[in-house]
Amino acid sequence: MISGSVASLERFTYRYPAGTNDALDIAELRIDDGLTLVTGTSGSGKSSLLRVFNGLVPHFHGGTVGGSAEVCGQDVINTATRVLAAKVGFVFQDPELQSVYPTVERDVAFGLENIAMQPQAMKQRVSEALERTGIAHLRERAVATLSGGERQRLALAGVLAMHPRMLVLDEPLSQLDEDGARSVVSILAVLAGAGTAVVVAEHRLDQLGSLGARMLAVEDARVVEGTAKRARRGDDAQALRVGPHAIATNVAAWELRNVATGPDRTPILEGINLSARAGEVVALIGPNGGGKTTLLRTIAGLLLPYSGAVDRASGRVAFLPQNPMALLHRATVAAEVAWTVRGDRPSADTAMLIDELGLTNLAARDPRDLSTGERQRAAIAAVLAGAPRIALLDEPTRGMDDDARDALCRAIRRLRADGSSIVIATHDKNLVAALADRTIAVGAGSARELAPVAVA
Amino acid sequence: MNPRALAAWSLSGITIALATGNPVYRVLVLLAALNVLVALRRPDVSLRGLGIALLLAGLIATAITTLASHTGDHAFLVVPQAIPVLGGPLTLEAAFFGASTGLGIAAAVLAAAPLSLVLMPNSLVDALPGALARTGAAIGTALNLIPGIARSASEIRDAQRMRGWRSRRVREWPDLAVPVVLTALESSITLAEAMEARGYGSGPRTHYGEIVWRRADIAVCVVAPAAAVAFVVLRLAGVIADWYPFPDLSVPPIDVFGVMCCLALAIPALVWRR
Repeated sequence: MISGSVASLERFTYRYPAGTNDALDIAELRIDDGLTLVTGTSGSGKSSLLRVFNGLVPHFHGGTVGGSAEVCGQDVINTATRVLAAKVGFVFQDPELQSVYPTVERDVAFGLENIAMQPQAMKQRVSEALERTGIAHLRERAVATLSGGERQRLALAGVLAMHPRMLVLDEPLSQLDEDGARSVVSILAVLAGAGTAVVVAEHRLDQLGSLGARMLAVEDARVVEGTAKRARRGDDAQALRVGPHAIATNVAAWELRNVATGPDRTPILEGINLSARAGEVVALIGPNGGGKTTLLRTIAGLLLPYSGAVDRASGRVAFLPQNPMALLHRATVAAEVAWTVRGDRPSADTAMLIDELGLTNLAARDPRDLSTGERQRAAIAAVLAGAPRIALLDEPTRGMDDDARDALCRAIRRLRADGSSIVIATHDKNLVAALADRTIAVGAGSARELAPVAVA
Repeated sequence: MNPRALAAWSLSGITIALATGNPVYRVLVLLAALNVLVALRRPDVSLRGLGIALLLAGLIATAITTLASHTGDHAFLVVPQAIPVLGGPLTLEAAFFGASTGLGIAAAVLAAAPLSLVLMPNSLVDALPGALARTGAAIGTALNLIPGIARSASEIRDAQRMRGWRSRRVREWPDLAVPVVLTALESSITLAEAMEARGYGSGPRTHYGEIVWRRADIAVCVVAPAAAVAFVVLRLAGVIADWYPFPDLSVPPIDVFGVMCCLALAIPALVWRR
């Protein structure tokens, strides 16, 4: 065992219970203090590697393990995750599913309760963690009322309250807007600078990549130094970009006239006048909680406006929700895609879409067995099947690597060429640069069109 | 407010509501519970849904008793005997008895309601004895999952509707039910993973919210159970008379001790402040 490192793995192999190949096959890896970024394509094994550091792999997931792994001086293979939790903090990809208690303050205290900290010391730790993550003002708020960015910071606060020696985060920026991401990145930078070993798996490297972090790539179960083959920094978005294209038609696809809309009997957008043509890609950008999803749902007809009118051209409207699991329920990816068009077998069109999104090798797999990025692609294939007249996509690149994003761009360009009107709500500025004919900023109760971006 | 004291108050209210058939005492328990709910409920809580549900329960209890019990001297309608179960005279006595039953249900439910509408769900779990702490935390966490599952059910329904799913076709219901169940299971597993990663189960636990006994809590914990015990004893001793409308409808008897016991249940609204 290598000494002196916060974490070290030697000849470490791991295979999931139903797996036919090793998910991890690592000759040697050591993690030291400071920031380490882990990159890799969807399904390459990033999440599995992160889970080794707090023992969820193998203790929670089962499977076969070989070699040795030591974290904070403890043998991972023989130490339960709940024991390692005192030294290793873990922030999961979906912050919504890691809140245990209904209020912010109590949720931050959950880990401290588990290590039997006395109430007075606990209160101090909770306050400190809330301050560090910038959510002290939310102390008494119900968790259910928080935005995605606030929830991510809550998850981070819950972990920081434990004063971990090592902090592991699985795609912490995937659901955050620019400001939210910047805030989380600055917290991580401070922690790493103060001597905590911070390990982050992330596709969005545009902000994290500038911190001078050590880069690791997971490729085919192995870990190598450097970035993944296709991991690309934000400023490389130009490579994807084709920019706005000339709209071939002048046929209106949808229109909102003086619309006031919002969920839970509260209008959060008012006086909205927007429209789009067939063969046009419109990007909705704006902060978390600004109303992008509300606008998409209103265009889709899933949310009735309080006032004003919504017109849609006849034809199928495709809607991709933020959570891809909301629509994946068939036994295979191919069956999922076919279900949308109600074919008994995948038709030539659906086969082409599956291929276009790089899902051919996964077509016979159960969608729920796929990685987050692969699930997202499967969900996109499922909603875009059958050439919809209008396609509304809510954060379609969530959890996607660059290959998958390229594939999505290809599919959307083809749909656009076929005359579909596409609306994308996204934080992904690379996607906006690559696809959007028009960009609309949504937030502060309104939606306004931004000036067209010049094509490079 | 101390959750154990509130639990003792709730139990007292339920005891009185169920120990008598006298609608006067039941109304008093109902009013005391309503007073506590209005004064102390959490700001995010609406009583509208509960009110509608209790009104419906009361109406159903009244309707069933009126239609199915044909006892009593004062018939106001006669249903033809040819109609099974319902056939026979419908009496005022049965209607009032049904209404009293409905009142009893409403009073008992309202007495229990503060446990979920006044306290935060985790407060009650924290108040469990040490031996039940882990079980309580697991139950509290499971309860916390419910709103998320409801949200995801709505999200799944919307997503499937956009793919052509129609609720009117019974054979398509599995296309909604399967992802709802699978998503709920996955959410539970992810939450279990997150709890494990935050040290749950590593040893004895402490509680962030200390259970503090203030004078007001002790007052509630003494007065409400004492009132319930006194009510039951006086009721069994025949001092507090019960009410039974059959065969001839009569005015419910009112006893000053009974009224005092019921009014004592209003104590939380007097000594506790939100």
